[in-house]
Amino acid sequence: MSVAFRAVQWNRTKLVYDAILLGGVILFIAGFMGIGALVEQPKDESEWIGLRIRAFGSCAFLMLTVILAIGPLARLDRRFLPLLYNRRHFGVLTFFIAALHACFMVEWYIAQDVLGTLMPELMTPEPYGKFIGFPFKILGIAALIVLFLMAATSHDYWLVFLRPPVWKALHMLLYPAYGLVMMHVALGAMQSNRHVLMPILFGGAFAGVTFLHILAAWRERDVGGKAERGWITVGPPQSIPDQAALIVAAPGGERIAVFRDGAQIGAVTNLCAHQNGPLGEGRIVNGCITCPWHGYEYRLEDGCAPPPFTEKLATHRVRLRDGVIEVEARPLAPGTRAAITV
Amino acid sequence: MTRTHRRIHRVLWPVMALVVMLGFTFALVLRPPPEAPAVEQPK
Repeated sequence: MSVAFRAVQWNRTKLVYDAILLGGVILFIAGFMGIGALVEQPKDESEWIGLRIRAFGSCAFLMLTVILAIGPLARLDRRFLPLLYNRRHFGVLTFFIAALHACFMVEWYIAQDVLGTLMPELMTPEPYGKFIGFPFKILGIAALIVLFLMAATSHDYWLVFLRPPVWKALHMLLYPAYGLVMMHVALGAMQSNRHVLMPILFGGAFAGVTFLHILAAWRERDVGGKAERGWITVGPPQSIPDQAALIVAAPGGERIAVFRDGAQIGAVTNLCAHQNGPLGEGRIVNGCITCPWHGYEYRLEDGCAPPPFTEKLATHRVRLRDGVIEVEARPLAPGTRAAITV
Repeated sequence: MTRTHRRIHRVLWPVMALVVMLGFTFALVLRPPPEAPAVEQPK
């Protein structure tokens, strides 16, 4: 870790991010309820609760869609990276909005004086054999459990406790949870609400997120495909942003961060030795590669953390051939000197 | 994200997209017709 490193706590950027997030959520819910009440004035308490259920459910779906779009957008364009660093707050707030959506559903049953029918509705096995008529609420509950698990483990303590690979695998459950939410809407609200916009908006959002994920994966595969005899083409030295990196993919899928610090170019694994943070999305600060997650630092020339720290990164050989930088796909032992000056 | 995560990610999205798109389309096509408005009884 950097000697000068200060843990990122509540700073101004995060506060602004959270304020915008909260403001956006309030605006969406107020707008949804205001327009909903104008279009069709709720006649009684139950209809008001129904409108609240729809407002909070739509908000949670929209937030989930944005969260899932941030990852591929940041891989496609570095300008989206600031959204990635605060994504955990976004996720926790999404869980709370989704939980309120579920609470209003229970409130609706209480207002109708039919709370006793909720459990039999979920527990009766017969409807589970149907497609139309499937107990769609169970799909929403399953997605809510995943969101809860993710919100509860979003702190760095859990990242350390579970270890990064397990933590990441757990948080990848968000993808099936999004699928569950889609089917929750398709078999629930979409069956009774026949407005043409409903399938267009929900289906369009899902198609958009899917397109972004597949496009980002395709782009990375494309870069990996340029490897010739074990060397990956990166581009002219000037194509690597100064004091930042270009990320290339080795044919096996491993990502390599190629950094440039003025005339010095070096390549290291994209995974930080601390918690697998994306090093290539960081910058060179005071001559060291600095991880964007927790500020761990590594020397560009050999991938070693400056003394007294002992972390080491696997490095990759770099060469300049016909004015183009190439990186060897095979990694060297962690801490091997491999950077060049062009 | 490790190589294994990335591999799972690459397989998961297309499979999930296909399953959800199919489910969504069937749910749209098979949804029951709207209820007919109640006919007023002649007085």
